[in-house]
This record gives sequence, C-alpha cells and structure tokens, in this order.
Amino acid sequence: MIGGQRTVKITLRGVEKRFRTAHGEEQVALSQVNLEIVEGEFICLVGPSGCGKTTLVNLMAGFDKPTSGDVAIEARPVTGPDPDRILIFQDYGLYPWKTVLENVLFGLEARKVSAAEARKRARATLELVGLRAAAGRHPHELSGGMKQRVAIARALAVEPSVLFMDEPFAALDAFTRLHLQDELLRIWEEKRPTVVFVTHDLDEAIYLGQRVVLMAPGPGRIQRIIDVNLPRPRDRTLRDFAGVRRELFEEFHLVHQQAASMMEYSI
Amino acid sequence: MPARLKKFGMAVGSLAVFTAVWQLAARRYPPEQFPAITDVLRAIEELAVSGELWGHIAISLARFSGAYLLAVAAAVPLGLFLGRFTRCHQAIDPLVQVLRPISPIAWFPLAVLWFGIGNAPAVFIIFLAAFFPMFLSTISAVRAIPPGYLKVATNFGANPGMTFLRVIVPAAFPGIMVGLHIAVGTAWIHLVAGEMLGAQSGLGFMIVDARNFLRTDRIMAGMLLVGLLGLAIYRGMKAIEQTIGRHWGVNP
Repeated sequence: MIGGQRTVKITLRGVEKRFRTAHGEEQVALSQVNLEIVEGEFICLVGPSGCGKTTLVNLMAGFDKPTSGDVAIEARPVTGPDPDRILIFQDYGLYPWKTVLENVLFGLEARKVSAAEARKRARATLELVGLRAAAGRHPHELSGGMKQRVAIARALAVEPSVLFMDEPFAALDAFTRLHLQDELLRIWEEKRPTVVFVTHDLDEAIYLGQRVVLMAPGPGRIQRIIDVNLPRPRDRTLRDFAGVRRELFEEFHLVHQQAASMMEYSI
Repeated sequence: MPARLKKFGMAVGSLAVFTAVWQLAARRYPPEQFPAITDVLRAIEELAVSGELWGHIAISLARFSGAYLLAVAAAVPLGLFLGRFTRCHQAIDPLVQVLRPISPIAWFPLAVLWFGIGNAPAVFIIFLAAFFPMFLSTISAVRAIPPGYLKVATNFGANPGMTFLRVIVPAAFPGIMVGLHIAVGTAWIHLVAGEMLGAQSGLGFMIVDARNFLRTDRIMAGMLLVGLLGLAIYRGMKAIEQTIGRHWGVNP
C-alpha cells in the first residue's frame, strides 16, 4: 500500500442517484459522492438505513446507473455487471436445485471454462472456504454460514478483481459472523481482491476495513472516512480498537440523530 | 407407526360404515333407482369379464393422456414466455381472464362443429380443462423467481440461453409442477363430461350408455371406476412430484 504503487481501482466522482417514488415525488438516494478505492483495498461502507449504501454498491457493481456523475473502474466507466466484479448479498443467491459444487460451477460455466478445468477450480475454491466435504449437498442442507461460504466460493472461482459484499453476514448468528469475518480476511490476504463491504455493524467495519466510510441519510452521502491503522490480526478488546470505535460511534451518533429527527419529520 | 395404523383404521372404518348405510338404504328402493353396492360390484365384474370395461378404460386413459400432454406442450412454453415478458403478458391477460371462466363444457357445441364427432371434441375439452391451470401457474412461477437468481446469472455473464435453461426453467419448475398437479384433477373431471357428450366409447360414454338401458348398477359402476382411477392417477402424480422435489433440493 505504501510506496507509490497505489493504483486507483474504483473512482466515484460527483455521483448522484435520484428515484421517483410511486407518488411521483423525486427522492435523492445519493448526493455528491466522491470516493477513490485503491486496488487490493478492503473498504467498509457503514451507515443507518436509508443512507444509500446498497444503492452505491449496486452502482459500482453495474446493476444500476447514476443519475449524474461518473462511476469508473480502472478509469473505464462502468456500463453493466461484469464477472470480474462479483456482488455477494445477504440472502446468498444460491440455486436450491443445484448442489454446492454445481453452484460453484455455474459461474465457471457461464465463463465458458472447460469442464475439467472448471471442476478443478471449483474444488479448489471449495477447499479454500473449507467446504470440500459439502460439495455434494444441496443448499437447504446447509447452515446460513455455510451457504454464504458457497456464495463466496462461487465468486472466487471466477477470480474476480473486485468483490462487492452487501451485508453478507447480517443474517448470521454472532459466532458464525465472527468466524466468517476471520475467514474472509484470510481469503483476502491470500487472493488480494479489492473488497467493498457494506455493513451496518460498526465493529464489523472496524475489524475488517482498512478504511471505514461512514454514510449519512437524507440525502444519502459520505459523512466521513476513517482510516483504521490497526495491526492485524485486530483485537476487538484492545484500547486502540476502542479508540477507533469511539470515534466512529460519536460520528455515527450524530448521523443517527439526524436520521431520527428526519424520520419523525417524515412521519 | 401406531398413528399411521390409527389413520388406516379410521379410513377402513368410515368406508365400512358408508358401505353398510348404502347397502341398507338401497333395500328401500327398486334397483333401477338405487342399486345396492353388491349390485354395483357385480356390474363391474360383469363388465370386466365381458371385456367391455377394459376397452373403455383404455380409450379414456388414451384420450386423457393425449390431451394432457398436448396441454403441457402448449401451456408450459407459452407460460414461460409470458412470465418472462411482462409487456406481452399485460397485453394478453385480459383475454385470458375472459376465456378462463368459460367452462370447458360450454365449448362443446363449438368443438363438435369444428372437429365433428369422435375423439376430437372430448380431447379438446380435456385440453381446455388442463390448459388454464398449467398456463396460469407457469406464468406466476416465472414471475415469482427471486430477482437475486437472475442478478447472479447476469453478474457471472451467463448468456440469455443459459439463463433461460439453467436458471429460469429450473427455478420455475416447482411452481409449474403445482399447475400440472391441479390440471390432472380438472382434466380427469372433464374427461367424463367430454365423453358423455359426444364420444362413442370411454368411461363417460359407458355411463350414458347404461342410462339409456336403465342399468343404474352400471351407471354407478362407471362412477365408482372414474373415482378410483382418478385417485390412482392423482396418487401417481404426487409420487412423481415428491421424487422430483427431492431431486430438486426443495423437499428434504
């Protein structure tokens, strides 16, 4: 990261997103978002609901287009989804009629990788996420944590350079979540993709991210970006961790109050 | 296991009571009006021994399966297409909503005008009876596919053909099966109606023919057989559905 070889991977410049509600009113989901994400970076987006973090990640992943402003990856404007940038979401998006192995193979087959090569790569990524033994099982036989591992394996199998993760661990119980956070870090350190991780859990953001982008609602915008310069593996119980947490909490509290007063207003 | 035994016992018990009440009630009426169950069973035996019964059953099953398969071939692809293309669905939906409440039986005069007497009108009526449940449930199955499934396919760069065959069809499959299941019931009910109206063979015709000779025992024999065969087909369908469901990873 240090020493001049910081290549910018994702650039957001003046990004704005407006929606029209069912009543015909215009709503600003995102306003004037400027952000540069460096190649290989692990960046977390946090914020209360309505701050547009999911919208932002969908814009970056190419599933949605900004009303104005530019979204670019490696200096090229994003025109649509691309297998080089995989979006992982909270409810896994696994195909229930396929086995674990077949789910992982799906991405490779879509990429027209030869059958033998696809099998090899699918098995290797399943090994990487610790699911080799579950290859023949169906998603309904797996726990939530295992399902999310399959989704991660399916993404990694096509070797994307960016992983967008939209609250991937939000539906999991606390223990599974902590465990998967470590697993994700291990995989990130091994493969070094750029990771954009959306969460509403401040601790999760501090534990994972090199930077934490705090977003605020009404209209959705970036409130503050905090560098987390803590050595890894990070210890949630240490004072330094608590320091970052206090900083973020205070800022978040501010954002939260704004959001709460807005809600009252709109109700 | 005792719970299952109990259930079985209850079923046998209620059937026994039903038979007994039937048998006793029938004593009060002449057999032309209300035959006893023993008369009906004898009629079945008679029809079976003469061989007449097997011919009727065979032709009824052939009409049923022919019309049913035709309906599958028409309703499922059409439903998949319209479920996918909302615009087309919006255009065609009013027409469907008007046609759907028309009983297939009401089509009978037209069916005879168009296709003449014989197999065709009966097959046409069964086809109509099977078509709508299959068609409508295929459409709603496609529309109920979680958007995430398609998002994943797009993200990994699956082409439209692969998305259709490997995501949309399998994702809609359990919903389509529900329609196929319902259609077995409606098609079988309308089989008898179709055969009563125009055909010269089959179980429906057998019932009408018996009425013309005032063979009430044979009328009831026909009804009983229609019920039993319908039950068997329904059960078979359910077994197939469960096997597929297990294979599909839907049912454990």
